[in-house]
Amino acid sequence: MEGIEGDLSEIFEEQVKAKGSVVARVLFFFQALGFLRVIFKYREKRYNNMPSIWIHYLLTAYRSLRRHRVFFGINLMGLTLAISCALYAFIFIQDELRFDQHIQNQQGLYRLYKHHINIPEHVDINTYETSGMMGPTMAKEYPEVTSFSRVLPWWDPMIFSQGNRHIQSEKVYFVDSTFLEMFDVKMVAGGKKELLKSPSSILISERLAAVLFGKDDPVGRRVLGINDLPFHIEGVFESPPRNGSLQYDALISWTTTVPNVGQMPQDWMNNWRAQGIFTFVKLAPNTSVKALEKKTEGMMQTHFEERAENYFLKLQPFQEMYLYGHHIMHRRGMKTGNIQFLYLLGFSAALILLIASVNYINITLSRTSQTHKEVGIRRVMGSSRSQLAFRFIAETFIIAFLATTLSIAIVYLLIPVLNVAIGKDLEQIMLFEPGTAMSILAFIVAVSLLVGCYPALSLSGQALSPVLKSSAGTVKGTDWFRRTLMTLQYAISIFLIICTLGVINQTQFLLDRPLGFEQEQVMVIDINNEVGEKADVLKANLLSHPDIRSVSIGRSAIGGGSYTTRVQPELYDGDMAARMFGIDFDFFNTYGIKQYSGRTFRKGSKADSSNAMMVNRAFMEFVGWEDPIGKKITFSSGNVYPIIGVTENFHISSLATTDIEPMIMFLNTRPMYASVKMEAQDLKATIPFIADQFEQLATKTPFDYYFVDQWFEDQYVNEQQVLSLSSVYAIISIVLCAMGLYGLTALILQQRKREISIRKVLGASLSSLLALLNKEFAMMMALAFVVAIPAANFLITEWLNQFVYRIDLGFGPFFMAGFGVIVISLAIVGLLTLRIGQANPSKNLSSE
Amino acid sequence: MKGTNIGELEELIMLTVAMLYDNAYGVAIQKEIKERCNRSITISTVHAALVRLQKKGFVDSRYDGTTSARGGRRKHLFRLTKTGQNALIQAKEQRDAIWEAIPEIAFNN
Repeated sequence: MEGIEGDLSEIFEEQVKAKGSVVARVLFFFQALGFLRVIFKYREKRYNNMPSIWIHYLLTAYRSLRRHRVFFGINLMGLTLAISCALYAFIFIQDELRFDQHIQNQQGLYRLYKHHINIPEHVDINTYETSGMMGPTMAKEYPEVTSFSRVLPWWDPMIFSQGNRHIQSEKVYFVDSTFLEMFDVKMVAGGKKELLKSPSSILISERLAAVLFGKDDPVGRRVLGINDLPFHIEGVFESPPRNGSLQYDALISWTTTVPNVGQMPQDWMNNWRAQGIFTFVKLAPNTSVKALEKKTEGMMQTHFEERAENYFLKLQPFQEMYLYGHHIMHRRGMKTGNIQFLYLLGFSAALILLIASVNYINITLSRTSQTHKEVGIRRVMGSSRSQLAFRFIAETFIIAFLATTLSIAIVYLLIPVLNVAIGKDLEQIMLFEPGTAMSILAFIVAVSLLVGCYPALSLSGQALSPVLKSSAGTVKGTDWFRRTLMTLQYAISIFLIICTLGVINQTQFLLDRPLGFEQEQVMVIDINNEVGEKADVLKANLLSHPDIRSVSIGRSAIGGGSYTTRVQPELYDGDMAARMFGIDFDFFNTYGIKQYSGRTFRKGSKADSSNAMMVNRAFMEFVGWEDPIGKKITFSSGNVYPIIGVTENFHISSLATTDIEPMIMFLNTRPMYASVKMEAQDLKATIPFIADQFEQLATKTPFDYYFVDQWFEDQYVNEQQVLSLSSVYAIISIVLCAMGLYGLTALILQQRKREISIRKVLGASLSSLLALLNKEFAMMMALAFVVAIPAANFLITEWLNQFVYRIDLGFGPFFMAGFGVIVISLAIVGLLTLRIGQANPSKNLSSE
Repeated sequence: MKGTNIGELEELIMLTVAMLYDNAYGVAIQKEIKERCNRSITISTVHAALVRLQKKGFVDSRYDGTTSARGGRRKHLFRLTKTGQNALIQAKEQRDAIWEAIPEIAFNN
């Protein structure tokens, strides 16, 4: 090598004289490049005992791991934790990304949604709700729309009966016949042609078929559905896979609902005005979506002029619907995902992995003094640098491999638990798919190389003589590197803690906020038509129980049965959206809702049940009425009703997403839900009584109920998901960080053992020693804090912005995060320092 | 390796090494060949050939002769080994034998 360098510089000097320095430099470069072939081709050949040396390295790595069990344990635990998190995140994300992939030919498949702007009402939203005429009109007027399918997931659970067999399903879709081809519905029985064309035709899933018909062939048979109307079974389909966003047990032909054609005419499903239907369209290849969206404005002008200024039709590619639909409202009846949650999950998992890797590097480096001699002697014996690096990478590989194996086992066992906790159904088998296995393998190798590389290179690359000379080596050159890593770890931990505290505060805030009614011990029973007809009997029977305080049976209850319509209040310019709530006399009593002004419905008053409305305060304030009593509201049907009273506001849905809407309450005629207010004494005894009473009246309606307080908590699934995720990650990060801190402190103290002993001999007190050593960590923490605060503040503020009701973050979380981290780390550093500080200094000094 | 046969460039370099005797290193060899045969070969080619010859055992090398001119680096000096000498002699003898065997008429037309 030296000869080559010499030759090169000799030529270089000559050429500088001959051709100038610039040309010489260029030539030098190319000449040097030419030597590459010499170097690569004529490298010294390795002797052929390499395999046995590698085995030897694995063996020494194994021995060294056994000798340093504590470090090994810390490393293994840290990596296992981190890899488990990452692995779970990996399969979770993979599963979400695979949604809807079973549907062939998604090219050109779009879902229609609309951008709804209404300035006086402060509405500016995206919603999937479309009207029943938009799809057919687009297909008729624009040749590029090759087909369309409307989908209406029926709101209420539907009971299907066949003889004396009944089954209730919440997943019934009304669809156009094109649905089958569009979404690749796989038929297992029944003819191929002309399915779902005629009114009252139905296709059912294998599950339904098995329950209703057992082993008989259901095709061509009849089944009773909504309101006991008969439906004609044309075929049986394979239930959609669990990771499809469209989930249905039965498909009913759209023609069933067309007035003058089908047996259950629903005018609103087939006109322009009413919204609430979902529309999918298939476009011809190479259609410009933008241009088509623009064209639909013309369609709105022609057919639905009164809303042309408010509704702007948009198209969303079907494959984006599952993950990217969160900015569009009304995702009812379909499974939905959230890409932001996936980002959050992946990002957190990556942070945890980062912390664990940093830990590994730190702890391995802190063992340098122990491995110094080994490295030194190996090098004296002629190990090359790459061989030494391999020795350390092998050690890392063993740990990474063990950690990954453990993680797979942990995740395997945790999946069922997490499925319940998070509300996701991942399959354990996903861990063993070839793709996952390959990724895990690639991951182990990558981690071994990346994480093992730094210790390997820094240990094997040091000058030889100091390595051998002193037993406690110093690694001064790498100190800044480790300190940076440590600070980074601190920053990540503080960041995660602040975020978690923010999420906890917000979730608690939502759960604690007064709802405007008494939510405890109120049970809502889904009574359906059958029992609804005998509502009075049920009510009387239930009230006979001493622990049942009050019963309200109505069209609506908290948690279900309400709907939105457009009304024209008196003295209000134009119309507005209002939520309709059908109740009975006992509603306010049962829920403890307070009256604001006027009166409530009077029992037995004929006028009240046919000609009276109540509104909530939000309605009154929205319209701007001073005195609402006696004011009139006009409905789109033309009917006009006066207002008799105003209630205080109460929440009927998740506080996370919706503010209180203007609400109209009326006495209803169609009971759907029974709300039962119970005394707190003995719910366990009261529930069987209610069930018993219910079953005496119901022959086919199952006893289906929920508690209102529970229902409200269930509304915060998303928030709870984020909460559990961030708490788990914050805790893991703290644990990992503490481990890393322990490793680093141990090293620093070992290096400064003599210094501390000398200080002690010279009369330093224990407290001054503690202060001396903690100073450095305090500096790192302070720096980490400065880095973490703005990042956390930014993220949390972004997250909070999506809530209607949100907390003011304040200083609390920041203070607590900082305080917690300081306490934990000072405790660790303090304990370790105490141990050395209390030791007899002569012992440390004599060991020179 | 096919016996002790040597390639044309190798032979040329070996001869030059022999000629330069105690001052045979990369640049010197390159210059000598340039002057005597008017052949430009790059410095890395010279080294590649030398490394190859050393592997075959025809030359051996040492480092010596520090001068300030080379950025303080020593020269990688080469010298023919006995095998190298034998190989050169053998090559020359083979050629001479063939030369002698050429009938005069071959060059006279």
